[in-house]
Amino acid sequence: MSFDIMLHTPTFILAMPLLFAFLTILVSKFSKKFGEMTFLLGLLLTGFFVFLMSYRIFTDGGWIYTFGAEEVTTRNFFRITFIADGFAALATITIAITAIAAGIYSFGYLEKEMSSDKFYTLFLLTLGGVNGMVLTGDLFNLFVWFEVTSVASCALVAYENYRGRSVEAALKYMVLSTVGGLVVLFSIGLLYGQYGVLNYALLSGSISRTFLDKLALALLLVIFAMKASSVPMHMWAPDAYGEAPGPATPFIAITSLGSLFVLFRLLFGVFGVGIDTAAIGAILVILGVLSMFVGVTMALVQNDLKRLIAYLSVSQMGYMMMAVGVGLATLNTVEYQNFGELAMKGGLFHMINDGVYKALLFLSAVAVIHKTDLRSLNDLGGLAHKMPYTTMFFLVGALSIAGIPPMSGFSSKLLIYQSVYLYNPILAVIALVVSIITFAIMGKVFFNAFLGPDQGLTDGEVSNVMLSGMAILTAVVILFTLFPNLVVSEIVTPAIEALTGGVLP
Amino acid sequence: MNWKMSRIVRTVTDFLVVPIVIFGIYLILHGHLTPGGGFQGGAVVASATALLIIAYGTLGRHKKDLSTIEAIGLILFISIALLGIGSTMFYNFLAGTGGMFGGTVEGINSGYINTGGTVTLMNLAVGIEVSAALSLILWMMSKETGIMKPEKKTSKTESKEVEN
Amino acid sequence: MTLESILMTLPYITVVVLFSLGLFTVLFKKNLIKIIMGIALMQNGANLFLVSLAYRRGEYAPIFTSAESTDMVMPTAHALTLTSIVIGVATTALLLSFVIMIKRHYGSINTDDVRRCKE
Repeated sequence: MSFDIMLHTPTFILAMPLLFAFLTILVSKFSKKFGEMTFLLGLLLTGFFVFLMSYRIFTDGGWIYTFGAEEVTTRNFFRITFIADGFAALATITIAITAIAAGIYSFGYLEKEMSSDKFYTLFLLTLGGVNGMVLTGDLFNLFVWFEVTSVASCALVAYENYRGRSVEAALKYMVLSTVGGLVVLFSIGLLYGQYGVLNYALLSGSISRTFLDKLALALLLVIFAMKASSVPMHMWAPDAYGEAPGPATPFIAITSLGSLFVLFRLLFGVFGVGIDTAAIGAILVILGVLSMFVGVTMALVQNDLKRLIAYLSVSQMGYMMMAVGVGLATLNTVEYQNFGELAMKGGLFHMINDGVYKALLFLSAVAVIHKTDLRSLNDLGGLAHKMPYTTMFFLVGALSIAGIPPMSGFSSKLLIYQSVYLYNPILAVIALVVSIITFAIMGKVFFNAFLGPDQGLTDGEVSNVMLSGMAILTAVVILFTLFPNLVVSEIVTPAIEALTGGVLP
Repeated sequence: MNWKMSRIVRTVTDFLVVPIVIFGIYLILHGHLTPGGGFQGGAVVASATALLIIAYGTLGRHKKDLSTIEAIGLILFISIALLGIGSTMFYNFLAGTGGMFGGTVEGINSGYINTGGTVTLMNLAVGIEVSAALSLILWMMSKETGIMKPEKKTSKTESKEVEN
Repeated sequence: MTLESILMTLPYITVVVLFSLGLFTVLFKKNLIKIIMGIALMQNGANLFLVSLAYRRGEYAPIFTSAESTDMVMPTAHALTLTSIVIGVATTALLLSFVIMIKRHYGSINTDDVRRCKE
């Protein structure tokens, strides 16, 4: 068989960040400039391979990549496998867009930092970890990439270690992640002890509703919901998002989103046939509603710009969990055709939307903080005079997160309202109310920080490099705004088919 | 404050460091046949560093070298994995080719050291990486906690984590 | 219940004890170093769990011995354990360096004093 680079793209998506993470250390010893170039090259290559993989998936369908085998087509379930299907494409596209934008942004942000090579290394390691987490096809690797992501992203949170608060936030996050990782390991042991396999496809065939299966499912659900900052376990999120160094903030949020992707993969792909889908779906819906409501209520009283967006991000996570929960609850019933599929569409579309506009909000908030050194909404004001571009970018993100027509956030939320209403009208009402409160909060922030008389807090716009990072995200948001149908039909629908159709054999 | 330990400890350290490092290298190279391997051997090598730190209170100025060695080890690992890309990543392209590492396996577990293929090379890469990384961690931590003589005022702290 | 079956469950009882002791320490102790010790206990519990799962009576470890390959146990769980130990080293080192930095910034490693993020 001839060598087909397209089939090898999943491995490059993982190998490029890791390889360039360590190349950056080496090159930075000779020249800082070349170190930055290496970092950028690694990011762009990763993005390029994500594009190639997604293109192949959308045209020819998915495939399984088996490491160390004679040929890609060899099936050996005791080897390490990667799943390249529509869902993996959706996840990696979201991750790659955010990573490239935040990476370019960080060049401008880190100008005054002494040693930035470690930041780049940790950034690429986190990228590799999240990519591995969403691509992997067995529980063993899931655990490894889970821990790589935890360690790298915690070190990233503590990067500005001259501030005590960032170390404190990182410690909290790290303790939770480590305990979470051990619980994941424990539940992997429970499954392995019963069935002797770790591969998703093999496991999904053998799961049989024993007590130990239910225990493992409950533990995995709790831990990945915790990493996805769902409400009863969300306490680490505002600290970690609030204290992470600027350009890394959207990326910490992306690790949460990655955990949510993994949770959905586990629920549909591994446990899908073996569980009471209605009950688990209802649990997801409850977690989602709690996250939406508590997140937005906490955001209402926040005064710190970054923490406020962090709580809003918790609340947005709730939308996805609720929508996909409705999809899971109605799976394999008549109702799935009626509204379940629509709910899945809304939920997954909201995921890719949310990854992008949340990153945009975080980056523009960080630009404000970077320029003024102020974080409190009480101190900020009148920034629109000196920072017109940042204001514009923030406005795009704010309108999108609040779900104002015709922004991209509205298209996905509309799908969610429509479908969830048929499942239970109260859910749709709550979702609408939360959306309105989000709009009110964003309005307050915008008026407080950007409008009003010029208070002389800043001497001008942030650097062009930082602006271009935000411009990329804005362009993507506007693209999603203009062509929501295209995104749903070309990216989201294959992802849903991959998710509900079970793991590839 | 006296950072060195007594002459007895230092002399014993001098004698012990060489066997410890050799044992570590043995574990690394024999990793595909017996318990051991890159991480375990690397940890043994790093324990020699711990001994040196405790006995002498200093490592000289080798910190920069350590992080370079660590990065080189990891790049080596990923490059070897990528070399198998003709089949798939991590493909053991040296196994059974009859070269220096590719001896053919006869029967069950023939026990010859040259049968590992790329596994030996990867163990070596991981061993280099882990010994450097763990030494670096020990060095940093003993400097920060005052076991070791502090150098001039540079408060760059580590954020150094590696997998594998 | 024979003596042998009791002996076979002994590792799992130890696992539960270790895991719950670790969890107790993480949840209820105030000293950060003790919390990290609790995490280490949980790590050991999880590792012991995997190793005891992989044990098959009368079979051999999959290493260089003269045993038939059919008599050897499947080393997946052992590989998972080794990976988990490696990851444990990394996480413990990172946690301990966080504690060193917290001690420098806050002058204390008691969780009651380390709560500036809330303000």
